[in-house]
Amino acid sequence: MSIQSICKYLFILAISATAIACAHTAHAQTADTVAVDTSATPKNKKKDLAGHQLAIGIDLVHPVLNSLVTDRFGYEFTMDYYMHNDLYLVAEGGWGGSTVDYSDLKYSTTNNFFRFGFNRSLLTRDRPTDWDMMFIGFRAGFADVNRGQATYTALDSVWGNHTGKTESKTFQAYWGELNAGMRVEFVKGLFGGWTARGKILFNGKSFNDLAPLYIAGYGKGDKNVAFDFNVYVSYGIRWKRRGAADTTVDSHPAAANTITETK
Amino acid sequence: MIKARKYLPFIAFVFCGLWVACTQTRDPCLTPKIASLNIEMMHLASPLVIGDTTFVDTALPAAVFRPLSVIVDNPYTIYPQQADFTISLSPDSNICQWIFATDTPAYSFDTLTFHYQRNLQFISNACGFTYFYALDTVLTTHVYIDSLHITNTSVTNNVNTKHLQVFIHPGH
Repeated sequence: MSIQSICKYLFILAISATAIACAHTAHAQTADTVAVDTSATPKNKKKDLAGHQLAIGIDLVHPVLNSLVTDRFGYEFTMDYYMHNDLYLVAEGGWGGSTVDYSDLKYSTTNNFFRFGFNRSLLTRDRPTDWDMMFIGFRAGFADVNRGQATYTALDSVWGNHTGKTESKTFQAYWGELNAGMRVEFVKGLFGGWTARGKILFNGKSFNDLAPLYIAGYGKGDKNVAFDFNVYVSYGIRWKRRGAADTTVDSHPAAANTITETK
Repeated sequence: MIKARKYLPFIAFVFCGLWVACTQTRDPCLTPKIASLNIEMMHLASPLVIGDTTFVDTALPAAVFRPLSVIVDNPYTIYPQQADFTISLSPDSNICQWIFATDTPAYSFDTLTFHYQRNLQFISNACGFTYFYALDTVLTTHVYIDSLHITNTSVTNNVNTKHLQVFIHPGH
């Protein structure tokens, strides 16, 4: 079994363990929520006390990797907006490229990418201003890839090597992601955290004539499954929800981030 | 969240390590890089017509193959005691020739002439490009070879596909 295969399975194992841990937390949270709902009337409507938050972050892993590997580079940014009920709308973007300079294959690629989706926090808030979270999420990703002219050599010891060129090409890549990670607030508004990503490429066959070595935002272009990892530092901008001052806080500890309003 | 904060650096370090370990400069090429044309020799038991079921599949004592290419130092390839052979087609042309004898000390040869279409094929970044072929016709002289039968026209890097059956005259 190759090192890459071992790494892949370790990665899957780590993500599975994280998911199981998260599921346990989520189960406890559900049980507490049910206890609150039994004491409330059907007309009660919960409001989120957490307010609004827009967090903008930058990935630190890929700039470090850019200095370690010479054949690829990438930069990634993230932005998320807290909607309600521990649900975050997420948009991510960046750019990157690769340079292949093997003895039998030479070409370069550049691409921009965009991902959007959501994160769902699995931890119960200690208080409304608690923005730490462990989360799972989904993303839909898109990349616009430009590949330059490629020079290849088909190696043959019997008939001799055959060298040729392929034309440059522009194409799109689409993929889906399952994410898991965590984020903690170190100082007011400043977060640190990581995100592990499992990705499935939807249209890998469309560029099988020469799959790019690396698609920034996705990974290896000739693989239909990819794994990635980000460490983000981000800053959150917050503001209050409209009408939050006219409401009362539910005294139940598990529902500390919600308020009950009777109509 | 105190526990989560405590374990964050450790978990981040582990994931970083895994990510870096999985990012190799170039993956090893684990698939065949050259399309192989696989030949099955059929030794006729008696001078029968093709299609008759009485021929037998026999290993040749020391069959010889050699490409007729511009590379002058291409050696003869001697296959000891076997019935299945693998040769390659030229990526530089739509035609190539191999010479063939059933035994090493032979002074005469058969010439196999392959006509085909080339298709440039990207295997992977680890393996690069190669050529796959679509066989059109195969012609032969008849010193040792009685006849030929193309069983599969698509010549790829799949080593398990048989492409050509060669029927040898009885007595050779």
